[in-house]
Amino acid sequence: MATETQRPQQVDDLDCPVVDADFHLTEQVSDLIPYVERPWRELFIGHNPFDEDANYYDPFPSSGVMEPHITTGRAEIFSPDAVRSADDVIEGMELLGIDYPLVTPGAVMLSLGLVHHDEVAAALAHACNTFVLDQIVDEARDVLATITVAGQKPRLAADEIDDRRHESGMVGVYLPTGGLNPPLGDERYDPIYEACERAGFPLLMHGVGSGTMKSFPVQYEGFSRGMENHVIAHPFQHIVNVVSMVTHGVPERFDVPFVFQEAGIGWVPYLMERMDNEYYSRRDDAPMLQAPPSTYMREHFYYTSQPLEGTQNSPEYVCAMARLMGAEDCLMWSSDYPHHDFDHTADIYRVFAREFDRPVLENVFGNTAYEVFFD
Amino acid sequence: MSTIQDDDRLHYVTRAADLKPGDRAVIECAGREVGVFNVDGTFYAVGNYCPHMGGPCAEGLVTGMFDADEAGNVSFERDGEILCCPWHGWQFDIETGDHLGHSKKRLLAFDVVLEDGDVYVRV
Repeated sequence: MATETQRPQQVDDLDCPVVDADFHLTEQVSDLIPYVERPWRELFIGHNPFDEDANYYDPFPSSGVMEPHITTGRAEIFSPDAVRSADDVIEGMELLGIDYPLVTPGAVMLSLGLVHHDEVAAALAHACNTFVLDQIVDEARDVLATITVAGQKPRLAADEIDDRRHESGMVGVYLPTGGLNPPLGDERYDPIYEACERAGFPLLMHGVGSGTMKSFPVQYEGFSRGMENHVIAHPFQHIVNVVSMVTHGVPERFDVPFVFQEAGIGWVPYLMERMDNEYYSRRDDAPMLQAPPSTYMREHFYYTSQPLEGTQNSPEYVCAMARLMGAEDCLMWSSDYPHHDFDHTADIYRVFAREFDRPVLENVFGNTAYEVFFD
Repeated sequence: MSTIQDDDRLHYVTRAADLKPGDRAVIECAGREVGVFNVDGTFYAVGNYCPHMGGPCAEGLVTGMFDADEAGNVSFERDGEILCCPWHGWQFDIETGDHLGHSKKRLLAFDVVLEDGDVYVRV
């Protein structure tokens, strides 16, 4: 095992190139218009955001979500002009100490999957790639990029990949997935995967915050197998509800022990850290809170353990998740008996007993629930 | 009582008259970058280094903060007293350097000394 002195002290000390696998442009519609080809370009002339004086149509739908740190201009680094040229990319590489950025669209094109006109979506992807090759990619300066494709037209997407894959500086395929319905397991997307395989390119998939809000419940309905649903049904519902309740101060306003059942535990520390991260940047959206969201998730919410993921393959994972969520205060053992995926007490105990001592075990296996339900 | 000249931790910033309410000055002294702010006639100084990821916090937007009463009615308070890091929008109280939402994160805060119409910061 490496000692502290042997271990590289900073990224610069590593012998490997530093690659940034998600580095964005802030492309705007006006960057794309010169590259949109006919006939689709004709649809926009005179009636579109490409014409600054006739801005009543925007091909990229949004649910209008307000991001306070962005709409106020507080997070100034994320400005529309931040990364719109190769020089801008270089500036970001220097700021972050990156050797190779995988440059992908990160502004209007994030919503490509929501464009309702399928052919226009494909035309915008094509235009974006021409723009990127013309103005962004610079192999001599290690600015590498990806081929953007529209999921609405998988065969055109495959053509796009085939046509662009030999272009210098293109190293992957980028699929904006926000709003794409049905989900990506549907066979209609196979041409995209086949084209990636032909090209020997990885496929980068990137959601979009605003669009996802409108599309997610619909997209969920596109599942066609029970397993797809069941893997995420419980944790996703809880994630939606926990995020909503904490943001709106429900645990601040009501003295109720809220118990979230049957979703396992790994999502809990994940969501705690994720919510805190967001809160530090945008507490304006949750002004009722007197503490970071994780505090409420630990002190006001409880979680039942079943179906406890990881017991068969990775008991150390189970213990790590339990430790990170503060299991001694908020985790309640549960069986879900007699459902098809019930957990057995002895099996679960064996896993927790690897790490935790009697007081924690007693809380998890009884005391906490006893206090919440019976005291 | 020591004079300005005797205190080598004091660094001249600007004439007070040149730093109007709402204005700021970012200076380098003692190996640090420090932002000095005039908030409604009172001067405050904080480090130009965000404890999150090292962004130039003292160069960010000065604004206010949203608050809510027990019924959830939202109001905008303390306009001009809150400093935002331009990288991720983390918000800090200019007076204390404290982060608005994270009890363990704060900007370095420095004393400001006014003498003969000059502004000094103690670093």
